Amino acid sequence: MIALALLRFLARTPWSTAMALIGMALGVTSIVSVHLVSSSVSSRLDGLVPGPLAEYSHYLHRDKLNSAAYFTLRRSWRAGALPAVKQLSPFVDETTTLEGQSVRVLGADLLANPPSASTNTAAEQFSMNGAWVDQSLEGQLSIPVNGIIDAPKGTLLADIATAHDLLGWRADQLSYIGLALSDPFAGTIETAEKLLPGFGAGFPSAKPNLDLSPDWQLVSTAEQYPAREFGKSILFNISALGMLALLVAWLLIYQVAVSWLRRLWPVFDRLHVLGVEWQQLRLYFLFSIGLVATLAAALGLVAGWWLARWLLEMAVPGQEINLKLDSWVVFKAVGSAVAVCLLGGAWAFHQSQQTPGRRSLLVIITLVLLGGATWCVFQPQTGLAGGFFAIAALSLAASQMIAPLLIQLKQWASMIGGSYLLRIGAREALWHPGELSVAIAGLSLAIATAIGVALMVDSFRVDFSQMLDHRLKYDLIAQGDATALNELAHTNEPLTLASRVQVYRNTDIRVNGLSMELNTTRMDAFESSRYGYGASLATNNILLSEQAGKALRLSVGDTLAVSGETMTVSGLFSAFGDLKPRLIVDQGSPLAATIATELQIDSVAFTSDQPDALAASLREQFPALELRLQSDIRRVALKTFDQTFAITTVLITIALLVAAISVYIAVTTMRLNRQTGRQLLNTLGVNRAEQLLMNIALGTGLGLVAIIIALPLGILFGWILCNVINPRAFGWTIELQLSAEALLRSCTWGMLAAIAAGILQGGGREEGAFGER
Amino acid sequence: MTKPAALSVKKISKHYQDGSRQIDVITDLSFSVAAGESVSVTGPSGSGKSTLLNLLAGLLELDNGDITLQLKDKTFSYRTANERSRTALRRQHIGYVYQFFNLVPTLTVLENVRLPARLNRRRDLESHASTLLAEFGLGDRLHDFPDVLSGGEQQRVAVARALLLKPPLLLADEPTGNLDAENSKHVADLLFSSCREQNISLVLATHSTDVAAMADTRLHLDSRLTPDKKSL
Repeated sequence: MIALALLRFLARTPWSTAMALIGMALGVTSIVSVHLVSSSVSSRLDGLVPGPLAEYSHYLHRDKLNSAAYFTLRRSWRAGALPAVKQLSPFVDETTTLEGQSVRVLGADLLANPPSASTNTAAEQFSMNGAWVDQSLEGQLSIPVNGIIDAPKGTLLADIATAHDLLGWRADQLSYIGLALSDPFAGTIETAEKLLPGFGAGFPSAKPNLDLSPDWQLVSTAEQYPAREFGKSILFNISALGMLALLVAWLLIYQVAVSWLRRLWPVFDRLHVLGVEWQQLRLYFLFSIGLVATLAAALGLVAGWWLARWLLEMAVPGQEINLKLDSWVVFKAVGSAVAVCLLGGAWAFHQSQQTPGRRSLLVIITLVLLGGATWCVFQPQTGLAGGFFAIAALSLAASQMIAPLLIQLKQWASMIGGSYLLRIGAREALWHPGELSVAIAGLSLAIATAIGVALMVDSFRVDFSQMLDHRLKYDLIAQGDATALNELAHTNEPLTLASRVQVYRNTDIRVNGLSMELNTTRMDAFESSRYGYGASLATNNILLSEQAGKALRLSVGDTLAVSGETMTVSGLFSAFGDLKPRLIVDQGSPLAATIATELQIDSVAFTSDQPDALAASLREQFPALELRLQSDIRRVALKTFDQTFAITTVLITIALLVAAISVYIAVTTMRLNRQTGRQLLNTLGVNRAEQLLMNIALGTGLGLVAIIIALPLGILFGWILCNVINPRAFGWTIELQLSAEALLRSCTWGMLAAIAAGILQGGGREEGAFGER
Repeated sequence: MTKPAALSVKKISKHYQDGSRQIDVITDLSFSVAAGESVSVTGPSGSGKSTLLNLLAGLLELDNGDITLQLKDKTFSYRTANERSRTALRRQHIGYVYQFFNLVPTLTVLENVRLPARLNRRRDLESHASTLLAEFGLGDRLHDFPDVLSGGEQQRVAVARALLLKPPLLLADEPTGNLDAENSKHVADLLFSSCREQNISLVLATHSTDVAAMADTRLHLDSRLTPDKKSL
């Protein structure tokens, strides 16, 4: 009988019931889509590390590494000298040209670890003298191919002996030794990574202290594969944003549960008076909201899959997209919907039976969160996880402040002037802290996220643009064919259209065991200024990119030994988007002379009053060259930048949409429970246009309250992203620009979302719990 | 000599639909009220008292019959009026007092009383609001919000608001139903005396025989009775 009464009530309020389902499904959709996008990007980044290396967390390098050194180390390990090491194995890893193809030859002990090929050519043809190649090399080489493996483009995997033969190396020569180290947190990090793809990059990774002689250099996978690490760091930034979207979605789901309870509460109240126990009523409530949550999770999974697919198609057009709804995302979606709903619902039910109590516990929790956030921000050793914790803690602390803020603002409500109808609408936003605070918190968080990310992206763009201004001092740049570049660099014909010609040479080099890129060129004052250095670079001086400075733990004034030459660090420069740490020395330096044979011309740059004419002339003389005008490079660079961060705009839009739905549900529930107020105004002759005006005022009031919290919170987010997250993740700093446009844009969208939620009248004509009579 | 009718109710009917079942709440009801006179409507719960007041306010549409209200320059017929013009009529020419939830919670006492003047752009009446409130003993509560007022005070504010425009018709639905005897008498006295003094027709639904007895005319509704037995 009770269940029937509840079902009838829900059927009589179909719009509100549908909105609860849609709202919760939208929350799940945002959770699923963010997870799938992050998971897809993470898989691609993991693909940068060839399969045989995936199980190793660190690598040991040393000069002239050979098998004798490896076996000495192995004997030491077997004797128990390296207890942290679970497994070690030698590798050969070098890029060479085979049959006209640039091939990365990876030699591993395949007897110990045979590769798992996605496609085997034929089992009987398996040969230790053959190789496994990635898809791009299939049919390109004469060496017997045992199978196709999932690996970066141009990778060939073979047994060490075969690799030696292919590279023409001595039989005992090795590149490095892979180490699998025991990590007590590995399981936790793996689980966190499965639940929140990209989040694993945020865990602080302390270097293990191995008892090794100083000529060994221990590097982590992150240092060995900076491109992968760079991508993982971007992914972490997106994951941090995704976590905020997750928080907003949880707030929405909680809001739906609270609204659901408020709709049913008058019925429960009467049933309790009739003798039905609260425990039984709670069960009915939790069952009904749990049912809605399960349906919403199913809907959200499907919608989230489609949304993720659309987002990826937009972010990486033309690439194959393979999204899987694995058990983790299903667990996350259903868990978020059902667990948040049931726990939140049970809490709301409990609170509804209580008289308002002391808020001291909430104050203490808020202060603890703020203290924790401050500590994480100023302690670099907390890593990216610390930065993210600070953002999460600030979000939770801010959401706790909404209800007290509303209560405080209500005391000043009589100061709101203007038309009486506007007063009614605006004050209504302050009048119901119990019903609206969760939804306003969600909206605040969404706006703050929008502000924080917009400030970060805008600041980043300004710095990036300034970097382009510095770097793009040349009007024309020639790259491409090595022979043609060499001819151009050594041409005797005067380039009459060019006022300056600059030749750049580079090579890959290992510094303290780390792979880096070394550039040499004429480092006069003009050239040095491109890197923010104000004078000619002395021949014993060196410039480091911020990533190189971070990797080598060096700053200005320190010395660095490279290929036997000691250089003084005279400057650090920003190098957004560089895949490798970079070093720059003058072409006349002793270091450049030492490695002269390894240096290859990378590009030649020109300044000219007539860049187009110069380009035409060079194109005629050197048709094999790629010629790029400065203006084109700048345009393409900024376009690429904007595309990279386009996905953040979509994620913010989702968060705002979710928050707006949350506010709408809260406002609808509030109106259903307080219809008499609206009826009174109707009796007084307030017409529909005036009611719309009141609703706009209500939405504006809600938006303003949300912005009061969101504005400082968003600026804090922006500051943390620029000064904590990015330096810890990328190794570069971004100067926070308090762009009025970024603030205004985010607040405007937040305000529009609130107004839209306020004026939607879909549920306005529905009956309350007991109808109108 | 009989006064001319300010409000005329002619053979009106109203029913509600509950699924396939039709509930006839009011059938062929007729009566009239002169300016400055009062009618009390009594009857058991469900007899149609609130429905009648909602019809008189133009909140509900008539099924049959007509209601006319004599305004200064014309006679307003409910039968032919659409929802918009009925809203305008309510706004300009009808005062309404409910049993409870009479006040807009987000407006102060003074703002609540001034609200009809603002809605009708009658700034000239705004100063009268504070005078009225002072007369009703609420001069020191002008800037309080309704949630800090007692039930009696809230009803007095509601009466003041209903009287501010000096409308030709004032409707009151159980205005004392939520009050103790003392406050009930105070509010009822205010209502009847003010309407009489200002020549306002008053239709008041009540369960209280004492309050009903204060009216010039009594209308008893009982859905079990046939129309011709309805007393007037």
